[in-house]
Amino acid sequence: MPLPQIDTIGIGAPSAPRRRKRGGGHVPRPAPERKPLPLSGIVCWPFLGVAALLVGYGLLVCWSAVQGNENYSFMRQASGVAVGLVLMAIVWAFDYRKLAAAYKPLLVVTVVLILSPHLPVIGVTTMGATSWINIGMQIQPGEFAKVTVVLFASSLVARYGGKLDEVREYCKVVGLLSIPFLCIMTQPDLGTGLVYLFISATVLVMGGARAKYIGITVGLLVVAIAAVFFIDEFLKYDTGDGTMEYRLLKNYQRSRLFVFMNQGDADYSAEAYNLQQAMIAIGSGGLFGKGLGSSTQSSLGFLPEAPTDFIFCVLAEELGFAGVVVLIALYATLVAVCLRIARRCGNLFGMLTVCAIVGMWLFQILENIGMCCGLMPITGIPLPFVSYGSSFMLVNFIMLGLIGSVYSHESGLGRGMRYGSTR
Amino acid sequence: MLVAVLAGIIAAVIAVCIVGVVLVLVSRYRDQNASAATDLSMLDTVGVGADEDGDIRVKSGEAAASKPSDGLSKRFGALGALAGAIFAVLGAKLWSMQVMDSSAYSSEAERNLYTTVSTPAPRGSIFDRQGRVLVTNRASQTVLAESEVADSYDTIRRLSSVLGLPVGVVRQRLADTSHGAQSQRVVASDARLRDVAFIAEHADAFPGVSVETRTMRIYPNAALGAHVLGYTGSPTEDELSKTVEGRVIDSNDILGKGGIEAFYDDVLAGEKGQRNVMVDASGNVVSVTSETAPTQGSDIYLTIDAAVQYAADKALASLIAPGGDIGSGRGVAGSVVALDARDGSIVAMASYPTFDPSNFTDGIPQDIWDLYNTEESHAPMLNRVINGQYAAASTFKAFTSMAGLEYGFATPQSAWTCTGSWDGFNTGAPQKCWDHSGHGTLDLHGGIVHSCDVVFYEIAKAFFDHGPAGTGELSNTALQEYLEKYNFGKATGVDLKNESAGRVPTPEWKAEHWRNVPSEAAWRGGDYTNMIIGQGDILVTPLQIAAGYCGIATGRIYKPHLLKEVRNAAGDVAMAFEPEVLAEPEVNQEHLEYVRDSLRGMIVEDSKMPKVFGDEGLEAAGKSGTAEHTDRADDAWFVAYAPYDDPKYVVACMIEQGKQGSSVAAPIVAKVLGAAMRADSGEEGTVGRIAGSSGHSSVLNFAADSDRED
Repeated sequence: MPLPQIDTIGIGAPSAPRRRKRGGGHVPRPAPERKPLPLSGIVCWPFLGVAALLVGYGLLVCWSAVQGNENYSFMRQASGVAVGLVLMAIVWAFDYRKLAAAYKPLLVVTVVLILSPHLPVIGVTTMGATSWINIGMQIQPGEFAKVTVVLFASSLVARYGGKLDEVREYCKVVGLLSIPFLCIMTQPDLGTGLVYLFISATVLVMGGARAKYIGITVGLLVVAIAAVFFIDEFLKYDTGDGTMEYRLLKNYQRSRLFVFMNQGDADYSAEAYNLQQAMIAIGSGGLFGKGLGSSTQSSLGFLPEAPTDFIFCVLAEELGFAGVVVLIALYATLVAVCLRIARRCGNLFGMLTVCAIVGMWLFQILENIGMCCGLMPITGIPLPFVSYGSSFMLVNFIMLGLIGSVYSHESGLGRGMRYGSTR
Repeated sequence: MLVAVLAGIIAAVIAVCIVGVVLVLVSRYRDQNASAATDLSMLDTVGVGADEDGDIRVKSGEAAASKPSDGLSKRFGALGALAGAIFAVLGAKLWSMQVMDSSAYSSEAERNLYTTVSTPAPRGSIFDRQGRVLVTNRASQTVLAESEVADSYDTIRRLSSVLGLPVGVVRQRLADTSHGAQSQRVVASDARLRDVAFIAEHADAFPGVSVETRTMRIYPNAALGAHVLGYTGSPTEDELSKTVEGRVIDSNDILGKGGIEAFYDDVLAGEKGQRNVMVDASGNVVSVTSETAPTQGSDIYLTIDAAVQYAADKALASLIAPGGDIGSGRGVAGSVVALDARDGSIVAMASYPTFDPSNFTDGIPQDIWDLYNTEESHAPMLNRVINGQYAAASTFKAFTSMAGLEYGFATPQSAWTCTGSWDGFNTGAPQKCWDHSGHGTLDLHGGIVHSCDVVFYEIAKAFFDHGPAGTGELSNTALQEYLEKYNFGKATGVDLKNESAGRVPTPEWKAEHWRNVPSEAAWRGGDYTNMIIGQGDILVTPLQIAAGYCGIATGRIYKPHLLKEVRNAAGDVAMAFEPEVLAEPEVNQEHLEYVRDSLRGMIVEDSKMPKVFGDEGLEAAGKSGTAEHTDRADDAWFVAYAPYDDPKYVVACMIEQGKQGSSVAAPIVAKVLGAAMRADSGEEGTVGRIAGSSGHSSVLNFAADSDRED
């Protein structure tokens, strides 16, 4: 099958096979037919249901976590959800296929978003990271760039129609995919960068890149990471007060990494304390938890950043293993439903978009929960649909909207609007 | 209410938006259908949309690669497997943490939560024998800060301006880890109430700063009896690591650091209260689960009489440093102790130079510590009554004459001739009597009264001649053994820590002491002649001399003691000191009477003594002494008891470099003895403030003096 023309992807001429079929094999007429609206063609009920349960569950945990903490407001989170719902509906209605070929503009938008904190007036630098812009309210553009990264990566890889087995093309794609990561490392924000990398990796794998190439890329990455550590040993310098400062990987990143690796050793650093308190919170929850709002670890301040990065610990402490199982079951259901949507999608771009989003969530879930229970290094990656933070909430609702858009605009699942085939 | 209304409005808006979007989608769906129907020509070129109706694929005849995912099902499988693996790993880990190891984590969470905090118990007060306050407590506002405050320049600056301390001082106190790295730093103790109130009201501006009311020792009479009372301070590393039975010492405790405060620390300390509290991560107390109140320490009543003590302290200070600095009077340091001969009670114990314990309540300030460690300060922290070890000089003659009488080397009938110099061992280097012109012919009584050394040289020679080097009737420790009956060479066991034992030289001791200089190690006749006049290697403390003279005056030595009784917080006597006989030398009563008579003669037959003691209305007996030094001025001794016929009090005084016992030390003895007798008769006497030593001296050592009296 020949490669499809780039500009026709996803916006191929509309077809009407379904209409023809629905017409029972009759010659289609210019639809005077006013059938009742098949809502299931627009709204995927299982998807929406599991998403609603997740958001509701998340809000419940968030409400408990922010109790008695004047730095956080539940109303703010709730209004984030409200705005998110509106955004989701709008994105849902938007025909995602209009972006199918727009990988160049998407890349530009991504780069502009990620680099915007470097702008002189609106850029904000806190805790050594230039990750925020202040436009009346403080937002993190790198967070919103996740959406454009997803779309950009999907549209880039979708051009190859599911077969990416030429070395030159593969290298080109990998090179382009690494641009967002390189940009975010100028802030620097390793956590978000890793999310970008995982999105790109998912798209590469699902987009049909040859397994050998992917293997080689992973190998090279491992070598590169080792090289960073090795070269850092030569670049480190004395800060003057007796401590060594590394140049490539910041000291705090190193200590987070090593804390995760050296659990159980006596370590009185802030990172070790955070991890220890997080694990105590989770472990002390037991099978059924201490009851909603009865956590001691978070309400008495032992748990740092309880409503944001470590919110999982609040859930685990208050609702116990039972609550954790419910959360994981909801996540698993969401992933399954999304993969089903992707699988049934008649459009490579749509399929990749859904897969990229799933990959992103999977990574965030793994990293966040993993970090709380000591399986992963500590990074500032929040837990989807649960962690406090309105930007993050909005982004996840946009993602939900995108998946909805894919479902309703190109799906074999229901009776959605069908433009026809991709190829 | 407002929130609920707002939420309702927002919900309505969202609902409207979503409905609107759905309508848009529906209309577009219809449009699409309509347009699709008009565009049938495209039908064949279209890859069939993936769906359930297979008939279309059949009809189109195309390969059924209708969905892009069809070629990638393995990859979907992989993604699904990855998702499954992630959820399984997380689930397994959480299972192990929350179900298998939950109890371990739970106990750690509990440990986070509950803490036992001890609340300090107020220390007991110290009173004199008549109930006059010597040491008590007052409330003191203490400003404490967490160690992290050191990182906040703003807070340091605010503390500095509120407390009126230089920024550098605040910084230095924040850096002080002497109470333990984690413990709060004391920024200011005894802060003014309004400063404390300001900090409490503006807690937001002082993160990590807290205010506590602690008790602080106060000394109404400053340095009065400082060496007896001692001082208090924070525990040292050593004291922290030591576990005293039934008592846990933590770094915030206040411990006694000398004197009665140290010796009876357990009595004074009381029992700390305990609060079991629930704390949050910042250590703030969220709730108190149980509490036991602290028990105030018991009060101690001393045998010290404040009026006598005041007389003693004042007499020493005005003798040695009338102008404030040592060297402006007589001598460079001194001590005086007054014992009740009837039960061993110490009614006064003074040592000069002295210190003001109130300077030490908040830890010894470095400048004072440095000052008191210089040579010119003459060791103000040293309690010379129990730790000053001196040659006993002629005060020893009372005991050595008892020994001479006991062994028959001197009898009331014996007579000796003093020419001012004596060479009984024919060494060619004659020993001098203190009066180089000689005393002429005298008996033992005269020898004691005039303190003639030659008389005692003769007695010493008799000991030597009957010893192993001579006839061998006596061992060469016969004299020493006799002296030990009067408790020389042993600590008296007074209730103070680290009392010195003094020294009575024996041949063994000498051999050991000079083991590296064999020529000096042999026991010679000269050792006897030195010892018998209280010179040479003999060392005694003023307390030992006073206790020994109790033995002469009453025939019995009671163990000297300071504690009269302990009263608990309710005022009931919890413990009272019982007099304890330390020694009761078995001696011939006639000999004792003879020596007592000679000591009485020392006072009445002298030209100046009758006035010195008569002015105080005393009928005393006593003995002077001058410990000779070749490199600096001589030390002056005087010891006396009164009344001579029914002894009640013994007072011993020692003035370092005071030169003359009878003219320098005797007036002090008379004053203290007089005060003791007046107190004994029920007079209250005057008590006043005593200043701590300035730590300076205008003279380090007075020059050695050839013009001696004894």
